[in-house]
Amino acid sequence: MDVQSAALIGAGVAVLTGLGAGFGIGLATGKTSEAIARQPEASGKITGSFLLGIALAEATAIYGLVVALLLIFK
Amino acid sequence: MTISEKITEGMSIKTAFTIHAFGLNIPISDTVIGTWIIMAVLILAAFIFTRKMCEIPKKPQLLVEALVGYINDFATEKIGHHGKDFAAFLGTIFIFLIAANLAPMLTPIGGFGFEPLFVIKPVTRDINVTAALAITVILTVLICGLIYKGPIGWTKSLVKPSPIMLPFNLLEYAIKPLSLCLRLFGNILGAFIIMQLIEAVAPVFFPPVAGLYFDLFDGLIQAVVFAFLSTIYIGEAVE
Repeated sequence: MDVQSAALIGAGVAVLTGLGAGFGIGLATGKTSEAIARQPEASGKITGSFLLGIALAEATAIYGLVVALLLIFK
Repeated sequence: MTISEKITEGMSIKTAFTIHAFGLNIPISDTVIGTWIIMAVLILAAFIFTRKMCEIPKKPQLLVEALVGYINDFATEKIGHHGKDFAAFLGTIFIFLIAANLAPMLTPIGGFGFEPLFVIKPVTRDINVTAALAITVILTVLICGLIYKGPIGWTKSLVKPSPIMLPFNLLEYAIKPLSLCLRLFGNILGAFIIMQLIEAVAPVFFPPVAGLYFDLFDGLIQAVVFAFLSTIYIGEAVE
């Protein structure tokens, strides 16, 4: 197969990094809900830490997206 | 235009004009002009808000004082007692990123058969803009680490936990700006492409609702994360 098709297949595989991000963020949400249920008065700090954590965990999925875009358009 | 044409059109960055100076041709892309416009708007807002400062503040001055106080507290809490010096830099990055990420929400509404009057695309969808910010932050980390710790203290901090960490500590100076740049770029570009897709497929009801998550929430979170991580890196370097 020529380079273009191989690049497109690679782009499809690259986006599979979203799996890890979804799994990790789902786990984090579960723990956050548990923590808030245990201590509702600390929910402000817990939510702040949670939002920071999901932004950082999302980054690896975004790296996969960037690689896929590079493969498609170059 | 078909959907794929719209996406490639949206992702492309056109050169507005070229500066011919000193024998070089410098292409000025439209994202550079966008950053100029954001800078002009922010400087104008700074002038307007600090024009008639009085001892007993009225509402606009209260807002700005609250913002500055919050950024100062945040910087001193994370960086330590040198935090006050960096609060202005970090606050500027934070305000610039919020303005740059949330500007696309100000495009006039199109759909129903006519195109909007002008389209504001997020300025951070160009990797050059985010790379410039990331390089600025890492240069600040490097140079301020050298200044605040002295050259001997800086080399000692490279072997801080144990001498095996030396290559990893050196590698971090390359990885930190890369991750900062790519995280912001990828998030904003991805949100922009998805908004283009939604507006192409279902322009009636979904764009404002989806735009609430993609444009507003994503832009805010990425600005906060960029500023927060820059604060952490500077705090590590300055101790």
